[in-house]
Amino acid sequence: MKQTVSSRVSLIYALSVRNLWRQRRRNTILLVSVICAITGVVVLNSLIRGMQLQMVDQVVYNLNGHITLHAADYRSDRAITRGFLEDSDEFARKLESLNLAGWATRIKIPAVVMSERETRGVQVVGLDPAQEDISVVADLPIEGSFLVNSADTRIVLGRALLTQLQTKVGHRIVVVMQDINSKSIEVGFQIAGIYDSDSEGMEKHVIFAGKGALQNFLDSESITELSIRFNTRLIPPNGLESISQSFPNLEAVDWKNIDPIIAFMYESINAMVYVWLAIVFTALVFGLMNTFITAVLERTQEIGLCKSMGMKSSLVLYQVVTESLIIMLLGLVGGLILSWGVLQLLGDGIDLSAFAAGVEMLNLAPKIRPAVVWQDINIVIVATVSLALVASLYPAIRAVRLDPLVALRD
Amino acid sequence: MEIELLALYDVSRIYGKEATQVHALTDVSLSITKGEFVSIVGPSGCGKSTLLNIMGALDQPTRGAVHFDGNSLSEMSNGELTDLRLQQFGFVFQAFNLLPVLTAAENVQFILQLLGIARNERQSRTREVLEALGLADVADRPATELSGGQQQRVAIARALVGEPALLFADEPSANLDSTATRELCELLRQINTDRVITVVTATHDPLVMGYTNRSIHLEDGRVVEDKTNP
Repeated sequence: MKQTVSSRVSLIYALSVRNLWRQRRRNTILLVSVICAITGVVVLNSLIRGMQLQMVDQVVYNLNGHITLHAADYRSDRAITRGFLEDSDEFARKLESLNLAGWATRIKIPAVVMSERETRGVQVVGLDPAQEDISVVADLPIEGSFLVNSADTRIVLGRALLTQLQTKVGHRIVVVMQDINSKSIEVGFQIAGIYDSDSEGMEKHVIFAGKGALQNFLDSESITELSIRFNTRLIPPNGLESISQSFPNLEAVDWKNIDPIIAFMYESINAMVYVWLAIVFTALVFGLMNTFITAVLERTQEIGLCKSMGMKSSLVLYQVVTESLIIMLLGLVGGLILSWGVLQLLGDGIDLSAFAAGVEMLNLAPKIRPAVVWQDINIVIVATVSLALVASLYPAIRAVRLDPLVALRD
Repeated sequence: MEIELLALYDVSRIYGKEATQVHALTDVSLSITKGEFVSIVGPSGCGKSTLLNIMGALDQPTRGAVHFDGNSLSEMSNGELTDLRLQQFGFVFQAFNLLPVLTAAENVQFILQLLGIARNERQSRTREVLEALGLADVADRPATELSGGQQQRVAIARALVGEPALLFADEPSANLDSTATRELCELLRQINTDRVITVVTATHDPLVMGYTNRSIHLEDGRVVEDKTNP
């Protein structure tokens, strides 16, 4: 039995390869079109995935983390009165089993900032610089100096806000906030430094203060958030559930809920990647099918001869399908190799800084770097093999249905 | 003792429907016994090829029955008929006999591969048949580079290599000159006598008919004469 199968497989393989070689010009064109289609799909998908993941990175990196824990009612009223007590030892114990890049505790409250000349509404972020290696804070270019520690009583502003307030590093500004008793307090801060950001919105609306110092001014030991960042670009499966269970009294919010617009765009891009894949492969299926129908019609007599001598219909079918599989698998390998080369060339990313406003609106970094998602590659592989089968099935059935006598007479 | 291999009972073959019907064969009854060398002769369009195709399980009669080795072909499935053609019959067609993408040896091996014969045995049997038919020196040449006579001999080698019970040859000399035809007929007679393979050939060539030991004459789809040749 094994001998029979191996003998027939070698026959089918030999016939398929020779028949493909016989029409090498036509099949080379077909092969090149398959390679181009697969390269196009892989490269474009990698660029789209790169954009998609950069959007997520920006959300996570910009003082949010993958998951943020708040008191249950904080999101409806972002005040220090809706904070919760910081217990670093307990947080560390609960989070130690997770694969985290780190975590940080912060105070985020609304405030009004006043200089001698201007007044602006801002968000004060009270933080401990030692914990901020997981966020954008660690990488912000600073003019002047950043906060030294949590107890630092100075403040850091964005360059755009500094311009609006018409003040300077070293000058003092007044920040108006509500303390733990919901009373407005006015606190004078010296400007330690200014930061530059890709996001003008952040420069205008986010100011940094020492967390410990802020707690003193607000007469509170509370924080308003525990921000968690995983070691992976996306939240691992069950990551949110696991953290929710560890902190039952807090509300765990993932980045999708923190920035629903980006989350919607993320999901839309997921759909777009698959729609794009479907469009390219559907176009390809007709080209392939047409080629293999032609190939079958050209070989009507040969197929008739084979069948008259005792070749089973199943072997006729396998022969046509094998030809299609050979073309598609060669195209797949060629396409993946070419994609790898193109992605190497694009490794430094595509500079979009000329479109800065649009880039910021989409929460993108100024350079789009392609990202290869292995799940997409697996889908391309499965789709290619499926396509080979689908495209060859109709021509193969036509070949199977040929009456050997009629075929021989053709 | 004569062993009946193939028997036809009142076989008719009608092509087309109603007004456009063509009666290719009408009530043909005959039997072929093991070891015979039979020619089916008659003018063009008399039904020779149709009869050969029905005998070779390539076509089904409209009426009547065909039995091979006592089994009715009409009761066999398509798959069983395909197996029968592969295991018991060998075919040599008038033209277009070889697969152009294969060499002479590969064309011969084709049948052995369909039969699932092991590689070593395939090669030795192929070599043996090609040598016996004087084709050893063209074994590795592509089928398309062979002369018409060589192609017919390779087709016969392919038909023989599976050791069939019956060899069908449809106008095997149609594209050959008289010298090549004589060589072909000698070869068929040698196969018939040495290997005891029953040969049935459709021909309108008196030269071919002269080599056979039985002639069945057809006219307008009917058997008009069935005689033993001297």
